[in-house]
Amino acid sequence: MQNYREFIDEILVDEKSIEKRVSELGAKISHDYAGQELLVVCLLRGGMTFTADLTRFLTIPHTLDCMSLSSYGTGHYASSGNVRVNLDLMTNIEGINVLLVEDIVDSGRTLAHVLQMLKTREPKSLKVCVLLDKKYRREVPVEVDYIGFDVPDRYVFGYGIDIDEYYRHLRFIASADLKKYKKTP
Amino acid sequence: MQAYQDILAEILIDEQALQNRIKELAVEINRDYQGKDLLLICILRGGIVFLVDLMRHLTVPHQVDFMAVSSYGTGTRQSGGSVRLSLDLKTDIRGKEVLLVEDIVDSGNTIAYVLEFLQTRQPHSLKVCTLLDKPERRETPVPVDYRGFTIPNKFVFGYGLDLDEYYRNLPFIAVVDLKKYHPPSA
Repeated sequence: MQNYREFIDEILVDEKSIEKRVSELGAKISHDYAGQELLVVCLLRGGMTFTADLTRFLTIPHTLDCMSLSSYGTGHYASSGNVRVNLDLMTNIEGINVLLVEDIVDSGRTLAHVLQMLKTREPKSLKVCVLLDKKYRREVPVEVDYIGFDVPDRYVFGYGIDIDEYYRHLRFIASADLKKYKKTP
Repeated sequence: MQAYQDILAEILIDEQALQNRIKELAVEINRDYQGKDLLLICILRGGIVFLVDLMRHLTVPHQVDFMAVSSYGTGTRQSGGSVRLSLDLKTDIRGKEVLLVEDIVDSGNTIAYVLEFLQTRQPHSLKVCTLLDKPERRETPVPVDYRGFTIPNKFVFGYGLDLDEYYRNLPFIAVVDLKKYHPPSA
Protein backbone atom coordinates (compact mmCIF):
# COMPACT_ATOMS: atom_id res chain seq x y z
CA MET A 1 0.00 0.00 0.00
CA GLN A 2 1.26 3.42 -0.95
CA ASN A 3 1.94 5.82 1.92
CA TYR A 4 -0.82 8.42 1.87
CA ARG A 5 1.76 11.18 2.23
CA GLU A 6 2.84 10.48 -1.34
CA PHE A 7 -0.52 11.35 -2.85
CA ILE A 8 -2.25 13.59 -0.34
CA ASP A 9 -3.36 16.86 -1.78
CA GLU A 10 -4.39 18.52 1.45
CA ILE A 11 -6.04 17.83 4.79
CA LEU A 12 -9.57 19.14 4.40
CA VAL A 13 -10.72 18.50 7.96
CA ASP A 14 -8.27 17.74 10.73
CA GLU A 15 -8.81 15.45 13.73
CA LYS A 16 -9.65 18.21 16.20
CA SER A 17 -12.23 19.78 13.89
CA ILE A 18 -13.90 16.42 13.25
CA GLU A 19 -14.12 15.66 16.94
CA LYS A 20 -15.54 19.09 17.74
CA ARG A 21 -18.11 18.93 14.95
CA VAL A 22 -19.15 15.36 15.78
CA SER A 23 -19.75 16.36 19.39
CA GLU A 24 -21.81 19.35 18.23
CA LEU A 25 -23.91 17.12 16.00
CA GLY A 26 -24.39 14.68 18.87
CA ALA A 27 -25.60 17.51 21.09
CA LYS A 28 -27.92 18.87 18.39
CA ILE A 29 -29.45 15.47 17.71
CA SER A 30 -29.87 14.79 21.43
CA HIS A 31 -31.62 18.14 21.75
CA ASP A 32 -33.91 17.62 18.76
CA TYR A 33 -35.03 14.19 19.91
CA ALA A 34 -35.25 15.06 23.60
CA GLY A 35 -37.82 12.88 25.33
CA GLN A 36 -37.94 10.50 22.38
CA GLU A 37 -36.13 7.39 21.27
CA LEU A 38 -34.10 6.97 18.16
CA LEU A 39 -32.88 4.22 15.89
CA VAL A 40 -29.49 5.09 14.45
CA VAL A 41 -28.87 3.37 11.14
CA CYS A 42 -25.27 3.08 10.07
CA LEU A 43 -24.69 2.75 6.36
CA LEU A 44 -21.78 0.39 5.89
CA ARG A 45 -18.92 0.56 5.41
CA GLY A 46 -18.03 4.22 5.12
CA GLY A 47 -20.34 5.35 7.90
CA MET A 48 -18.93 3.11 10.62
CA THR A 49 -16.35 5.49 12.10
CA PHE A 50 -18.71 8.45 12.09
CA THR A 51 -21.50 6.37 13.65
CA ALA A 52 -19.27 4.94 16.38
CA ASP A 53 -18.05 8.41 17.33
CA LEU A 54 -21.37 10.21 16.92
CA THR A 55 -23.32 7.80 19.13
CA ARG A 56 -20.82 8.36 21.94
CA PHE A 57 -22.09 11.94 22.09
CA LEU A 58 -25.79 11.02 22.13
CA THR A 59 -27.53 11.44 25.45
CA ILE A 60 -30.94 10.19 24.29
CA PRO A 61 -31.93 6.51 24.39
CA HIS A 62 -31.05 4.95 21.08
CA THR A 63 -30.53 1.63 19.39
CA LEU A 64 -28.25 0.84 16.49
CA ASP A 65 -28.78 -0.99 13.26
CA CYS A 66 -26.76 -1.34 10.06
CA MET A 67 -27.50 -1.51 6.38
CA SER A 68 -25.22 -2.50 3.58
CA LEU A 69 -26.08 -1.22 0.13
CA SER A 70 -24.49 -1.39 -3.25
CA SER A 71 -25.45 0.05 -6.57
CA TYR A 72 -26.14 -2.20 -9.50
CA GLY A 73 -23.65 -0.16 -11.51
CA THR A 74 -19.89 -0.60 -11.33
CA GLY A 75 -17.03 1.56 -10.17
CA HIS A 76 -16.52 4.01 -7.37
CA TYR A 77 -18.66 6.84 -8.64
CA ALA A 78 -21.29 5.01 -10.61
CA SER A 79 -24.36 5.41 -8.47
CA SER A 80 -26.89 6.05 -11.18
CA GLY A 81 -28.85 2.82 -11.03
CA ASN A 82 -31.01 1.21 -8.45
CA VAL A 83 -29.80 0.26 -5.03
CA ARG A 84 -29.23 -3.30 -3.97
CA VAL A 85 -29.70 -4.10 -0.29
CA ASN A 86 -27.01 -6.53 0.84
CA LEU A 87 -27.95 -6.31 4.47
CA ASP A 88 -31.35 -5.08 5.53
CA LEU A 89 -32.30 -3.71 8.94
CA MET A 90 -32.95 -6.14 11.76
CA THR A 91 -35.33 -3.62 13.28
CA ASN A 92 -38.88 -3.06 12.15
CA ILE A 93 -38.95 0.73 11.79
CA GLU A 94 -42.70 1.20 11.63
CA GLY A 95 -43.67 4.01 14.00
CA ILE A 96 -40.18 4.81 15.25
CA ASN A 97 -37.73 7.68 14.78
CA VAL A 98 -34.99 6.76 12.35
CA LEU A 99 -31.75 8.60 11.72
CA LEU A 100 -29.66 7.47 8.78
CA VAL A 101 -25.95 8.07 9.30
CA GLU A 102 -23.76 8.29 6.23
CA ASP A 103 -20.17 9.33 5.64
CA ILE A 104 -20.75 11.37 2.51
CA VAL A 105 -23.54 12.49 0.24
CA ASP A 106 -22.49 12.99 -3.32
CA SER A 107 -24.93 12.63 -6.23
CA GLY A 108 -27.60 11.83 -3.67
CA ARG A 109 -28.93 8.96 -5.76
CA THR A 110 -28.20 6.16 -3.31
CA LEU A 111 -29.50 8.15 -0.39
CA ALA A 112 -32.68 9.16 -2.23
CA HIS A 113 -33.35 5.52 -3.08
CA VAL A 114 -32.84 4.31 0.47
CA LEU A 115 -35.01 7.05 1.91
CA GLN A 116 -37.79 6.21 -0.51
CA MET A 117 -37.50 2.54 0.34
CA LEU A 118 -37.47 3.10 4.11
CA LYS A 119 -40.44 5.46 3.93
CA THR A 120 -42.61 2.64 2.62
CA ARG A 121 -42.12 1.05 6.04
CA GLU A 122 -43.78 4.06 7.67
CA PRO A 123 -41.35 5.18 10.33
CA LYS A 124 -42.52 7.91 12.67
CA SER A 125 -39.76 10.13 11.34
CA LEU A 126 -36.84 9.65 8.98
CA LYS A 127 -33.87 11.99 9.01
CA VAL A 128 -30.39 12.00 7.57
CA CYS A 129 -27.07 12.88 9.15
CA VAL A 130 -24.00 13.04 6.92
CA LEU A 131 -20.49 13.92 7.87
CA LEU A 132 -19.57 15.35 4.50
CA ASP A 133 -21.75 17.02 1.94
CA LYS A 134 -20.47 17.40 -1.61
CA LYS A 135 -23.21 19.76 -2.73
CA TYR A 136 -21.69 20.44 -6.14
CA ARG A 137 -22.11 16.81 -7.11
CA ARG A 138 -25.80 16.63 -6.35
CA GLU A 139 -27.95 15.18 -9.12
CA VAL A 140 -31.02 14.30 -7.10
CA PRO A 141 -32.44 16.54 -4.39
CA VAL A 142 -32.06 14.99 -0.95
CA GLU A 143 -32.98 16.67 2.28
CA VAL A 144 -30.06 16.32 4.66
CA ASP A 145 -30.97 17.26 8.22
CA TYR A 146 -27.55 17.23 9.86
CA ILE A 147 -24.36 18.05 8.02
CA GLY A 148 -20.85 17.85 9.42
CA PHE A 149 -18.94 19.73 6.75
CA ASP A 150 -19.44 20.97 3.24
CA VAL A 151 -16.60 19.71 1.11
CA PRO A 152 -15.51 20.69 -2.40
CA ASP A 153 -15.75 18.31 -5.32
CA ARG A 154 -12.51 16.45 -4.62
CA TYR A 155 -11.61 12.83 -4.12
CA VAL A 156 -11.68 12.50 -0.33
CA PHE A 157 -10.44 9.79 2.02
CA GLY A 158 -9.89 9.05 5.69
CA TYR A 159 -12.15 8.82 8.77
CA GLY A 160 -14.03 5.81 7.43
CA ILE A 161 -13.79 6.76 3.76
CA ASP A 162 -11.57 4.55 1.65
CA ILE A 163 -9.58 4.64 -1.51
CA ASP A 164 -9.74 1.15 -2.96
CA GLU A 165 -10.59 -0.14 0.53
CA TYR A 166 -7.54 1.34 2.29
CA TYR A 167 -6.95 4.44 4.42
CA ARG A 168 -10.25 4.25 6.33
CA HIS A 169 -8.36 4.38 9.64
CA LEU A 170 -6.92 7.88 9.17
CA ARG A 171 -8.11 10.36 11.81
CA PHE A 172 -8.59 13.22 9.36
CA ILE A 173 -10.27 13.81 6.04
CA ALA A 174 -7.97 14.56 3.16
CA SER A 175 -8.19 15.03 -0.57
CA ALA A 176 -6.13 12.84 -2.88
CA ASP A 177 -4.07 13.85 -5.85
CA LEU A 178 -5.06 10.99 -8.12
CA LYS A 179 -2.17 11.63 -10.51
CA LYS A 180 0.18 10.63 -7.70
CA TYR A 181 -1.93 7.79 -6.36
CA LYS A 182 -0.99 4.21 -7.19
CA LYS A 183 -3.47 1.45 -6.56
CA THR A 184 -2.31 -1.39 -4.29
CA PRO A 185 -1.87 -4.47 -6.46
CA MET B 1 -35.09 3.27 28.84
CA GLN B 2 -33.56 3.39 32.32
CA ALA B 3 -30.52 5.58 32.83
CA TYR B 4 -27.47 3.36 33.01
CA GLN B 5 -26.67 4.73 36.45
CA ASP B 6 -29.87 3.10 37.74
CA ILE B 7 -28.89 -0.38 36.62
CA LEU B 8 -25.16 -0.22 37.11
CA ALA B 9 -23.59 -2.75 39.46
CA GLU B 10 -20.03 -1.64 38.73
CA ILE B 11 -17.82 -0.25 36.03
CA LEU B 12 -15.65 -3.20 35.11
CA ILE B 13 -13.28 -1.42 32.71
CA ASP B 14 -13.17 2.34 32.52
CA GLU B 15 -12.63 4.43 29.41
CA GLN B 16 -8.94 5.09 30.02
CA ALA B 17 -8.15 1.43 30.64
CA LEU B 18 -10.05 0.44 27.49
CA GLN B 19 -8.28 2.95 25.30
CA ASN B 20 -4.86 2.09 26.73
CA ARG B 21 -5.38 -1.61 26.16
CA ILE B 22 -6.67 -1.09 22.61
CA LYS B 23 -3.53 0.84 21.82
CA GLU B 24 -1.41 -1.99 23.20
CA LEU B 25 -3.30 -4.53 21.10
CA ALA B 26 -2.71 -2.41 18.00
CA VAL B 27 1.02 -2.28 18.76
CA GLU B 28 1.07 -6.09 18.96
CA ILE B 29 -0.86 -6.42 15.71
CA ASN B 30 1.37 -3.89 13.95
CA ARG B 31 4.42 -5.85 15.05
CA ASP B 32 3.04 -9.28 14.13
CA TYR B 33 1.85 -8.24 10.67
CA GLN B 34 4.77 -6.01 9.79
CA GLY B 35 5.36 -5.97 6.03
CA LYS B 36 2.02 -7.65 5.41
CA ASP B 37 -1.40 -6.58 4.37
CA LEU B 38 -4.29 -7.32 6.68
CA LEU B 39 -8.04 -7.80 6.35
CA LEU B 40 -10.04 -6.99 9.46
CA ILE B 41 -13.39 -8.70 9.70
CA CYS B 42 -15.98 -7.39 12.08
CA ILE B 43 -19.04 -9.35 13.04
CA LEU B 44 -21.92 -6.93 13.37
CA ARG B 45 -23.02 -5.18 15.44
CA GLY B 46 -21.24 -5.35 18.77
CA GLY B 47 -17.73 -5.14 17.39
CA ILE B 48 -18.01 -1.85 15.50
CA VAL B 49 -16.86 0.49 18.25
CA PHE B 50 -13.88 -1.68 19.12
CA LEU B 51 -12.99 -2.06 15.44
CA VAL B 52 -13.10 1.68 14.79
CA ASP B 53 -10.92 2.50 17.79
CA LEU B 54 -8.49 -0.33 17.10
CA MET B 55 -8.07 0.65 13.44
CA ARG B 56 -7.06 4.16 14.33
CA HIS B 57 -3.92 2.77 15.95
CA LEU B 58 -2.97 0.42 13.14
CA THR B 59 0.02 1.28 11.02
CA VAL B 60 -0.03 -1.88 8.90
CA PRO B 61 -1.98 -1.57 5.65
CA HIS B 62 -5.44 -2.97 6.23
CA GLN B 63 -8.88 -3.29 4.75
CA VAL B 64 -12.16 -3.76 6.60
CA ASP B 65 -15.07 -6.01 5.89
CA PHE B 66 -18.22 -6.97 7.73
CA MET B 67 -20.24 -10.09 8.39
CA ALA B 68 -23.62 -10.40 9.96
CA VAL B 69 -24.72 -13.67 11.47
CA SER B 70 -27.75 -14.75 13.33
CA SER B 71 -28.51 -17.98 15.07
CA TYR B 72 -31.43 -20.12 14.06
CA GLY B 73 -32.42 -20.24 17.71
CA THR B 74 -34.31 -17.51 19.53
CA GLY B 75 -33.20 -14.88 22.03
CA THR B 76 -30.31 -12.50 21.69
CA ARG B 77 -27.96 -14.09 24.19
CA GLN B 78 -28.38 -17.64 23.03
CA SER B 79 -25.75 -18.83 20.67
CA GLY B 80 -26.24 -22.53 20.40
CA GLY B 81 -26.86 -24.45 17.22
CA SER B 82 -26.29 -23.46 13.64
CA VAL B 83 -25.42 -20.00 12.46
CA ARG B 84 -27.13 -18.23 9.63
CA LEU B 85 -25.04 -15.86 7.54
CA SER B 86 -27.10 -12.76 6.80
CA LEU B 87 -24.26 -10.68 5.35
CA ASP B 88 -21.30 -12.33 3.71
CA LEU B 89 -17.93 -10.71 3.05
CA LYS B 90 -17.39 -8.57 -0.01
CA THR B 91 -13.77 -9.62 -0.04
CA ASP B 92 -12.46 -12.94 -1.27
CA ILE B 93 -10.17 -13.98 1.58
CA ARG B 94 -8.23 -16.68 -0.26
CA GLY B 95 -4.53 -16.18 0.45
CA LYS B 96 -5.16 -13.19 2.72
CA GLU B 97 -4.12 -12.42 6.28
CA VAL B 98 -7.43 -12.28 8.11
CA LEU B 99 -8.07 -11.00 11.60
CA LEU B 100 -11.51 -11.45 13.07
CA VAL B 101 -12.35 -8.58 15.41
CA GLU B 102 -14.92 -9.35 18.08
CA ASP B 103 -16.36 -7.52 21.06
CA ILE B 104 -16.65 -10.62 23.24
CA VAL B 105 -16.00 -14.34 23.15
CA ASP B 106 -18.56 -15.99 25.36
CA SER B 107 -19.75 -19.53 24.61
CA GLY B 108 -17.53 -19.43 21.55
CA ASN B 109 -20.17 -21.25 19.52
CA THR B 110 -20.80 -18.54 16.94
CA ILE B 111 -17.20 -17.57 16.47
CA ALA B 112 -16.06 -21.19 16.23
CA TYR B 113 -18.58 -21.71 13.49
CA VAL B 114 -17.53 -18.55 11.66
CA LEU B 115 -13.86 -19.54 11.88
CA GLU B 116 -14.57 -22.98 10.51
CA PHE B 117 -16.59 -21.47 7.71
CA LEU B 118 -13.93 -18.88 6.82
CA GLN B 119 -11.21 -21.52 6.89
CA THR B 120 -12.90 -23.31 4.00
CA ARG B 121 -12.04 -20.28 1.85
CA GLN B 122 -8.36 -20.83 2.51
CA PRO B 123 -7.05 -17.55 3.87
CA HIS B 124 -3.27 -17.39 4.34
CA SER B 125 -3.83 -16.87 8.04
CA LEU B 126 -6.87 -16.50 10.26
CA LYS B 127 -6.59 -15.04 13.73
CA VAL B 128 -8.95 -13.75 16.39
CA CYS B 129 -8.82 -10.49 18.27
CA THR B 130 -11.40 -10.02 20.98
CA LEU B 131 -11.81 -7.14 23.35
CA LEU B 132 -13.36 -9.29 26.07
CA ASP B 133 -12.93 -12.94 26.86
CA LYS B 134 -15.29 -14.72 29.22
CA PRO B 135 -13.61 -18.12 29.50
CA GLU B 136 -15.98 -19.44 32.18
CA ARG B 137 -18.78 -19.48 29.64
CA ARG B 138 -16.89 -21.35 26.95
CA GLU B 139 -18.70 -24.29 25.34
CA THR B 140 -16.65 -24.53 22.15
CA PRO B 141 -12.89 -23.91 22.21
CA VAL B 142 -11.78 -20.80 20.31
CA PRO B 143 -8.15 -19.89 19.69
CA VAL B 144 -7.89 -16.26 20.84
CA ASP B 145 -4.75 -14.58 19.49
CA TYR B 146 -5.28 -11.06 20.82
CA ARG B 147 -7.25 -10.51 23.99
CA GLY B 148 -8.11 -7.16 25.51
CA PHE B 149 -9.38 -8.33 28.89
CA THR B 150 -10.35 -11.58 30.54
CA ILE B 151 -13.54 -10.93 32.45
CA PRO B 152 -15.58 -12.89 35.00
CA ASN B 153 -18.92 -14.45 34.18
CA LYS B 154 -20.99 -11.32 34.69
CA PHE B 155 -23.60 -9.65 32.51
CA VAL B 156 -21.71 -6.79 30.84
CA PHE B 157 -22.75 -3.88 28.65
CA GLY B 158 -21.34 -0.73 27.08
CA TYR B 159 -18.67 -0.01 24.49
CA GLY B 160 -20.56 -1.74 21.67
CA LEU B 161 -22.23 -4.34 23.88
CA ASP B 162 -25.94 -3.86 24.30
CA LEU B 163 -28.61 -4.60 26.83
CA ASP B 164 -31.69 -5.25 24.73
CA GLU B 165 -30.12 -3.09 22.00
CA TYR B 166 -29.47 -0.07 24.22
CA TYR B 167 -26.37 1.33 25.93
CA ARG B 168 -23.92 0.43 23.16
CA ASN B 169 -22.57 3.99 23.14
CA LEU B 170 -21.19 4.02 26.68
CA PRO B 171 -17.43 4.57 26.65
CA PHE B 172 -16.77 1.92 29.34
CA ILE B 173 -17.65 -1.70 30.09
CA ALA B 174 -20.07 -2.08 32.95
CA VAL B 175 -21.79 -4.85 34.85
CA VAL B 176 -25.56 -4.70 35.06
CA ASP B 177 -27.44 -5.16 38.30
CA LEU B 178 -30.13 -7.53 37.06
CA LYS B 179 -32.30 -6.95 40.12
CA LYS B 180 -32.66 -3.29 39.14
CA TYR B 181 -32.86 -3.73 35.39
CA HIS B 182 -36.24 -3.84 33.65
CA PRO B 183 -36.08 -4.83 30.00
CA PRO B 184 -37.96 -2.37 27.78
CA SER B 185 -41.45 -3.54 26.89
CA ALA B 186 -41.78 -4.31 23.19
